[in-house]
Amino acid sequence: MKISRFKSGLAPTLGAALMCATVLSGPVAAQDTAIGPVVGPEINEARAALGRRLFFDKRLSGDAAIACATCHQPENGFADGLALSLAYPGSKGFRNTPTLINTALAENWFHDGRIGTNLNDVTRESITEDYMMNMDMRLMQERVKQDPVYVQMFADAGYGEPSNGSIRKAIPEYLNTLISHGSDFDEGTMSESAQRGQELFEGKAGCIDCHYGPRFTDDQAHNIGVPENPEIWSDPMRHMTYAAFASFMGVENYMNIRQDVGAQIIRHPADGSDIGKFNTPTLRELVYTAPYMHNGMFKNLSDVVAFYNAGGEDTPNLDERVRPLGLTFLEQQDLVAFLEALSGDPLTGPEYVWEDPIPTNYTAIENWREQTN
Amino acid sequence: MKPMKNTFRLMAGAAVLAISAAAVNAQDMSAYPPLAPLGDPPIPLDNPMSDAKVELGKILFWDPRVGGDASTACVTCHEPDQGWAFSDSLSRGYPGTVHWRNSQSVVNAAYLGQLFWAGAAASLEKQAPSAAKGAVAGNGENDVMETRLAFIPEYRERFNDVFGTEYPLIGDAWNAIAAFERTLIVNDTPVDRYLAGDESALTEEQIAGMELFNGKAGCIQCHNGAQATDENYYNLGVPPAERWEEDGLAQVTFRYEIFAKGVTQDMYRVLHDDPGLYFRTKEPMHMGLFRTPPLRYTLYTAPYMHNGAFWDLEEVVRFYNAGGGENDFTDGTMASTKTPLLHPLGLTDDEVDQLVAFLEAFSGDELEVEAPELPPYAPLDAQ
Repeated sequence: MKISRFKSGLAPTLGAALMCATVLSGPVAAQDTAIGPVVGPEINEARAALGRRLFFDKRLSGDAAIACATCHQPENGFADGLALSLAYPGSKGFRNTPTLINTALAENWFHDGRIGTNLNDVTRESITEDYMMNMDMRLMQERVKQDPVYVQMFADAGYGEPSNGSIRKAIPEYLNTLISHGSDFDEGTMSESAQRGQELFEGKAGCIDCHYGPRFTDDQAHNIGVPENPEIWSDPMRHMTYAAFASFMGVENYMNIRQDVGAQIIRHPADGSDIGKFNTPTLRELVYTAPYMHNGMFKNLSDVVAFYNAGGEDTPNLDERVRPLGLTFLEQQDLVAFLEALSGDPLTGPEYVWEDPIPTNYTAIENWREQTN
Repeated sequence: MKPMKNTFRLMAGAAVLAISAAAVNAQDMSAYPPLAPLGDPPIPLDNPMSDAKVELGKILFWDPRVGGDASTACVTCHEPDQGWAFSDSLSRGYPGTVHWRNSQSVVNAAYLGQLFWAGAAASLEKQAPSAAKGAVAGNGENDVMETRLAFIPEYRERFNDVFGTEYPLIGDAWNAIAAFERTLIVNDTPVDRYLAGDESALTEEQIAGMELFNGKAGCIQCHNGAQATDENYYNLGVPPAERWEEDGLAQVTFRYEIFAKGVTQDMYRVLHDDPGLYFRTKEPMHMGLFRTPPLRYTLYTAPYMHNGAFWDLEEVVRFYNAGGGENDFTDGTMASTKTPLLHPLGLTDDEVDQLVAFLEAFSGDELEVEAPELPPYAPLDAQ
């Protein structure tokens, strides 16, 4: 931990907790909290290649109209460049598409952190959720089994015949390959401005209180007072998607609220103390993933830094560490330069993108009646 | 499948014996409920009719937002100008899929107690959600479909008027659709008028066909009563769908259905034909059995049979005249469940024509309904 100066009364507690974690988990945990290069997991190439093809295959959605890559686009840092995401046809999204770069190392997923297990579950959630890919996984399995290329790839990957279970293993294996590298920060080639920004990041601006570790996130949910995106409530196709989600998640009074309750859906504390909390996002690859925040309210990094400098918007549950920072204009520019220096090489090469055409139709199995299913 | 084969044969054999005892020859056809004028459809006590409910149901029937990607409405596979069915062997299915069975007409479905080809729904109220939600049909989910309705002001008003709710409930949508479907009635066909006493309603050829229907051809054994169906289940030996052999998309759906409907791993591997009622009962003696379809309105609903194997009524009649056919559940490979009611009928070409002419008299005029205008979404004001 390179926390040079704590910014709030909570910080000593945080520091104690971190020290405690270090003691309990040993040196690995200590390393995880330090800012530094991202080290990805070991990769099984055959499984990652299979996952890569699946990631770009539209037949993994109910009506075969969208793939994972429809919203997680390599050229946009595996986000989509939109304030609010697309959704399954017939719906529109109510949150900003998060990057998938380094997601393999996260501890929980989605802006509200509602899945805290593993990427297998995240894959299932994304493929089956009504407003995401709306896919019956039994039908998905049979579609994949109909494609001879997949049959071979599943065998080569050691998965046997294609199944929805191994689809949910192969896609996470591909996500394991989406690891940041080559940033000025990692390479030690930061500009002087960015270096001054790092000092502010770790000091006066206090960013590091939440944005720490190789991915620059504590994987915790906080309320930093981001204003609501009014488009969610003015566009019925976004509002209805949120309402359906909130209804399914057991949010009280879901037809009348006009607020994204965020992490409240996980524990539903009676005092509403998790309302408006969202997971700390990674700060890696930000130059590719504008606009920012869970609802895409900020178009560029200058706006984000200006927002923090002003101390966020006054809302209930506002994290105490969010308060006016008193950064000068030049200091804000330095901070932006540092944030930009956390972005590395774009993950747009063939090792990340399935470039061969993927068929959209299905070849008939010959002598079908004589084959076993 | 070898180990299962004998078991199936034994069990199916037992079933055949039981049915044979009740088998009837042409002289005993009076044992069956006679054809009769159709009359009015039954209305369930828990879903009474009203004009407002029927009008709401009609709009919903046309509304593709009652489905997964807002592209597929009830009417998509039950097209008024295709006999309120779909004019292909297999129904069109949700985008990216093809369905696996023939789409049945909604006309006069109000009289049936068992909907779908294997009777999987006992009411129109149960049929509608099943169709709206199946992955190769509507692929909708309750929460999304229900919430969409809440963002359509006209629906909020209409549901409130009919059901008294602040926001539409998806269960009420099925009730409204069912109420609309109970208005899709054709009960003044030439057959109805003839059976009600108007002897001029049928031609001589059609009357001769009716006599064959009730006698030599034995149709009345299953197609009896006012609906011309006993709503019982039989294997006629309708051949497996050709499309399953030729079309990769259809092969995907076939496997999906046997997977999703829950058969054993062994069964999943070897099935290449639709086991019909077996899916519901898991009784080997029910493999390949399908519910007797009503014969009304069939002039407009080609092709015929659960997989659309036959393209016109003459083909159907000739199939019966040959004593039915063969499929995977007739030859002992999977089972031997073909109904013993079928045997070569010895109908002459003239008699085939007469029977077809009579069947055509079951349909009357085409039922036309003007498509409603679909109400738009609008932002929802805070309460």
